[in-house]
Amino acid sequence: MKILELKKVRKFFGGVKAVESFSLDVGEGEIVGLIGPNGAGKSTLFNCVAGVFPPTAGEILFQGTKINNQKPWDLCRKGLARTFQIVKPFATRTVLYNVMVGAFAVTDKRAEAEQRALEVLHDLHMEGKKDLRAGNLTIADRKRLEIAKALATRPKLLLLDEVMAGLRPTEVDEMVAIIKRLREGGMTIFVIEHIMRAIMALSDRIAVLHFGTKIAEGPPQKIAHDEKVIKAYLGEDYGAA
Amino acid sequence: MLYIIEDTINGILMGSIYGLAAMGLTLIFGVLKVINFAHGSMLMVGMYAAYWAVILTGLHPYLTLIAVVPVMFVFGYLLQDILIKPIFKSEKDVREPITVIIVTTGVWYILDNLSLLVFGPQYRNLQDNPLRGKMLEFGDMLVSVPKLWGFCAAVATAVLIYLFLQKTRMGRAVRATSLDRDAASLQGINQYKMYNISVGIGTAAAGVAGVALVPFYNVFPSVGVLFDIKCFIIVVLGGLGSIWGALLGGMIVGVIESVGPQFMAATWTEAVVYALFLLFLFFKPSGLFGVKYDW
Amino acid sequence: MNPSLARKLPLILVVLIAFALPLVLRSPTYLHILILLYLYAYLTTSWNLVGGFAGVLPLGHAAFVGIGAYTSTVLSLQYGISPWAGMLVGALLSAVVGVIIGLPTFKMRGAYFALATIAFAEGIRVMVENIDYLGPLQLNGPRGLQIPPLKIGLLHFMFADKEPYYYIILVMLAGVIALTWFVSRSKLGYYLVAGGEEPEAAQALGVNVARAKLIAMAMSSFLTAFAGTFWAQFTLYIHPKSVMSLDISFEIAFIALIGGRGSIAGPLLGALLLRPVSDFSRIYFGSTLPGLHLIIFGVVLILVMLYQPRGLQEPLTRMYNRAMDRLIGKREAAA
Repeated sequence: MKILELKKVRKFFGGVKAVESFSLDVGEGEIVGLIGPNGAGKSTLFNCVAGVFPPTAGEILFQGTKINNQKPWDLCRKGLARTFQIVKPFATRTVLYNVMVGAFAVTDKRAEAEQRALEVLHDLHMEGKKDLRAGNLTIADRKRLEIAKALATRPKLLLLDEVMAGLRPTEVDEMVAIIKRLREGGMTIFVIEHIMRAIMALSDRIAVLHFGTKIAEGPPQKIAHDEKVIKAYLGEDYGAA
Repeated sequence: MLYIIEDTINGILMGSIYGLAAMGLTLIFGVLKVINFAHGSMLMVGMYAAYWAVILTGLHPYLTLIAVVPVMFVFGYLLQDILIKPIFKSEKDVREPITVIIVTTGVWYILDNLSLLVFGPQYRNLQDNPLRGKMLEFGDMLVSVPKLWGFCAAVATAVLIYLFLQKTRMGRAVRATSLDRDAASLQGINQYKMYNISVGIGTAAAGVAGVALVPFYNVFPSVGVLFDIKCFIIVVLGGLGSIWGALLGGMIVGVIESVGPQFMAATWTEAVVYALFLLFLFFKPSGLFGVKYDW
Repeated sequence: MNPSLARKLPLILVVLIAFALPLVLRSPTYLHILILLYLYAYLTTSWNLVGGFAGVLPLGHAAFVGIGAYTSTVLSLQYGISPWAGMLVGALLSAVVGVIIGLPTFKMRGAYFALATIAFAEGIRVMVENIDYLGPLQLNGPRGLQIPPLKIGLLHFMFADKEPYYYIILVMLAGVIALTWFVSRSKLGYYLVAGGEEPEAAQALGVNVARAKLIAMAMSSFLTAFAGTFWAQFTLYIHPKSVMSLDISFEIAFIALIGGRGSIAGPLLGALLLRPVSDFSRIYFGSTLPGLHLIIFGVVLILVMLYQPRGLQEPLTRMYNRAMDRLIGKREAAA
């Protein structure tokens, strides 16, 4: 069953084209990657899907229903969660508090929210840090906190926006392992990433965005050797691999 | 009918003085992106300064500009440098430093009550000054002379500020800082110095307004409160950051205040002004000429 | 004894003393001062629901005090309705007005929001000052309304001595503190904090930030109106400048900010520290140095904002905790 369907999505900001006729399907339990040079329109696409702003044209379907004009908080209730490229923790509060905010999406009771938050922190090996002030965490922990907050909302689809940026190689591997575990638990994941090693290791399929247009789609190995993709990243002088 | 034209003209003149008072506030906001709640109190200080200058020297009120303008400039400069700069520095990442609003509100309270303490609550005015009560006759209409002078002062100040911002190097630096403080700073512009200068100029403009008011308006400690709120309203109407907008916004308020009483009780005109203010806040917060600020 | 209970002991003691005070303290002047202290603590704690937890800066709360005061007074003077019932009506009316004000203004940036609340509050005050009759209701414009102390007793919210007023406001204060505590631990509280700190992140986690703020505003204005009725019944004379002025709005906000908005202890501490300053400077310096207490407020406000922007409750709570650590031993990690 298709969790997410993007049909000919376009996004214009005034006269500036950010995304041009983008189509993609994400099936249940898949990990789909979205890559492309900086400014290609990846975050814009995420924002359209997550309800931050509606697409200028095209359709976005979540679990078969059109979600074009819905608001982020309603989408979250329906099972669509996302992280932010520039992490936004509630800095003055503890890690546990942060995750509980997410947990309240699935319950009204504080005790249950606390329970759920502790579960999520346990899964991400963060429970030892639950009383630390979020603003004092390292960048790696903040990224994990981002994911923890989103996970607490019990999503069916998780949009991860460059969660590896700024991480050291060992931290990247840890993050890959976490994401893989999530998929094993049945979650569908749509990832934007720049760190090639991570996205190659994670994705079942990858879509490549360049100046707002999809220039390639397919399994990681095919993408790695795709001529158009290489040209987009490295410039015209680099021909076939 | 004639009364309405006469009222309108006097309303425009008075309104231009309101605009003069608001000009400083809009400049300060345009550059610093914060609202200085103490602006009315600065105006009050300017009025007292002009008042005492005239009493002590016996000069024509407008001659006191020589003293009042520099004093007010320094006052504003120091206020920004000592009280507000530290907050800017410590809240660099905060989207909008509400703390500045709170601090300037504190300054407002201090200034107003300090002047109450020092000068006493009595209403003062310059009874004998050469402009008081003088009227110019245009056919059957009477136009207030001190307000006419005020109008000229307002337009002159607006032109001077405009020329400063457009033609001088420092003025361009100020404008650069207002457009993008980080980019300007990368170009070697000391953004904090630009802020200081902007607040200095804004306060000096309030000083000019004080001089313009003192020939015919009563001076008392809480005069600042009246003008403070009026200035906010004008600044929103005209558009935050726009000098000409402040002038125009002031004139709109001035006309409502002077023509309004022909049609309703004078105190209701106050309500009309508030209603207009709220309408703009909701539907056109960038005002008539304001820069489109991302809300 | 369980250590976390032991740490709370001094606070419990303070509460008990507060309730027992009138038995020992007979002077009406001091009772009056304490009543005003509790009243402002009540007002700032109610304000805190919006100004602290929701993270915005409302500077027009006196409007709700006024609505509460005028509603219960008009209803009791003209229709003989018990002030308690009038209090409830006033609170409901306030809540509605609060939501009406909040709907368009919560979308605005901080400074504009503050200005809009000032404009609304002043607009309401100007209206009340200008109309003698609102339909059948007599408001008396700037002359205000006097409440003749004809019927005494609990039912009529009218007493000859200060003691009953003392207990009423103390209970109200205790109630509002308890409510704030409950809200801070509830879903609404978490949502307000999240929405105030990082609205986009909160929205992505399912928080309808605008709706949470409106709920907070409705609660805050509802509770603030109660204080208006209390004020009317206590002072027996209300007029626009006494219950709806900008000075009152600002004093409430200042006290909460100096104490530390967003915390439960902050507004209380602020009131505790600043109201005595206000009262004593008015009593002793009122004629020689008028407005001195406002100058002091202003200076304290600026100093606190420069050096302790989260309010005085931060260093004070730290000192208290450290003292408790030494006396009782390290507490468990807070739940």
